[in-house]
Amino acid sequence: MDEYIGKKLIQLKINGERFSAAAEPHETLLEVLRNRLGLTGAKAGCDVGECGACTVLMDGKPVLACLLLAVDCQQAEITTIEGLSQGRELASVQEAFLAEGAVQCGFCTPGMVLATSALLTQSIRPSEEDIKRALAGHLCRCTGYNKIFAAVQRAAGTDRGKA
Amino acid sequence: MLLPKFSYVKAASLGEASRLLAAGDRKTCLAAGGTELLPRMKYGLVRPEKVISLKGVAAAAPERAADGSIRLDALMTLSAAAASSLIQAHAPVLAAAAAAVGSSEIRNMATLGGNLCQESRCLYYNQPHDFQFTMPCFKRGGDCCYFIPEGKKCRAVYMADTAPAFICLGAEVHIVGPRGVRRIPLEGLYRNDPLQPLTLSAGEILSGILIPARPAHRAEAFAKFSWRPGFEFSAVSVAAVLNLAEDRQTCRHARIAAGSLAAAPLRSPKAEAALKDKRLSTEAIAAAADQAAREIRPVPHHGYTRAYLRECHRVQVRRVLSTAMRPFAKT
Repeated sequence: MDEYIGKKLIQLKINGERFSAAAEPHETLLEVLRNRLGLTGAKAGCDVGECGACTVLMDGKPVLACLLLAVDCQQAEITTIEGLSQGRELASVQEAFLAEGAVQCGFCTPGMVLATSALLTQSIRPSEEDIKRALAGHLCRCTGYNKIFAAVQRAAGTDRGKA
Repeated sequence: MLLPKFSYVKAASLGEASRLLAAGDRKTCLAAGGTELLPRMKYGLVRPEKVISLKGVAAAAPERAADGSIRLDALMTLSAAAASSLIQAHAPVLAAAAAAVGSSEIRNMATLGGNLCQESRCLYYNQPHDFQFTMPCFKRGGDCCYFIPEGKKCRAVYMADTAPAFICLGAEVHIVGPRGVRRIPLEGLYRNDPLQPLTLSAGEILSGILIPARPAHRAEAFAKFSWRPGFEFSAVSVAAVLNLAEDRQTCRHARIAAGSLAAAPLRSPKAEAALKDKRLSTEAIAAAADQAAREIRPVPHHGYTRAYLRECHRVQVRRVLSTAMRPFAKT
């Protein structure tokens, strides 16, 4: 197997589009997304896998872009928050976050929204416990967790009958 | 936080990775999920010249052998292990332990082998050190401890959650190395030395885990206490596996193991012996929990005192034993 030193062209498939970027082996997926491709939706929070702000979907599953080497992501389909909405139309999860006022400073929102959409593709009617488990790795320092849980329930359609 | 520079190799097989690792003279690191290695590299706790990625090696699906044992690939992710119907049926204690690790994002990346081969951790040690001008602690090659200032030795603890579950299941690990494959009981992987927690020698890679066949009547459970699951490692994690007699109320053989209390996962042999051939009544369970808490002297870690951890351990043991027996409760 070839050893990879210095800068090389790597190929990434992000939001259905192919991107090439010159990156060094020590660059994380998060650094390449933000600094080389201008996709600043995934946020750099703790940078060590604790806060969930850098969450992206890899083959539909939420993963932490700060703990992935960009060079390791070349075979995968990556979805960032930029790829969730269709043109100017927001995805239903994003609409639900807006409607419930689940966005304050917005720093944790991309990660929360992506983790929610992954949860909703897995289970159609998640229980409150499922929602809390799916979002356990996402830190919100505005502490708007209740509104976020309400937004997930609204997106899942399980909020009815509560009002 | 930037990663230090290194050269990168994507291994095509574990054999190749093992050869490169052996040739790397301890300056080469292995990355499976990367959730342990990358933060350690960002903090400057390890500075490899070369990183061997295992992302190019596909994880084999769990397999059930003719004798009823199951073999797990060490590269299986924790979320795959938690969701596997074979593991849920054969070893629910392991599925529960895998589901309890970190956040769903971490579980989607982290592997079973990586979890078992975790480095020991400490509140002082696991942080960036580039701002400090003090002498390094024991774990960083120095001769003092900042977590317990008068400490004469390193107090880092081993915090992997799946290890107690695997130990209770009597798991055996397969290790690929320069001299072929060796198989040892999982307990043999641990040295109980915070400075070097594992018995792996240069070039050795944990490749698989074998869980023995499941007896006809078995009760099992896992519990973990942590201030904030999803962000925090466990304060204490406990697994228990009880082989039951025909009546499904009497314990034939018990295994109880706890994690995060020392530099290795620890069993409670006296509590296990106390349960042997006993009816698993509420009183017997409480007595076994008291015994388990008496026989392990927890290492204080992450701000938890020894007394707190001891009490926490007792509660978790009682909890796993009663949870394990719940499906067999007489109505």
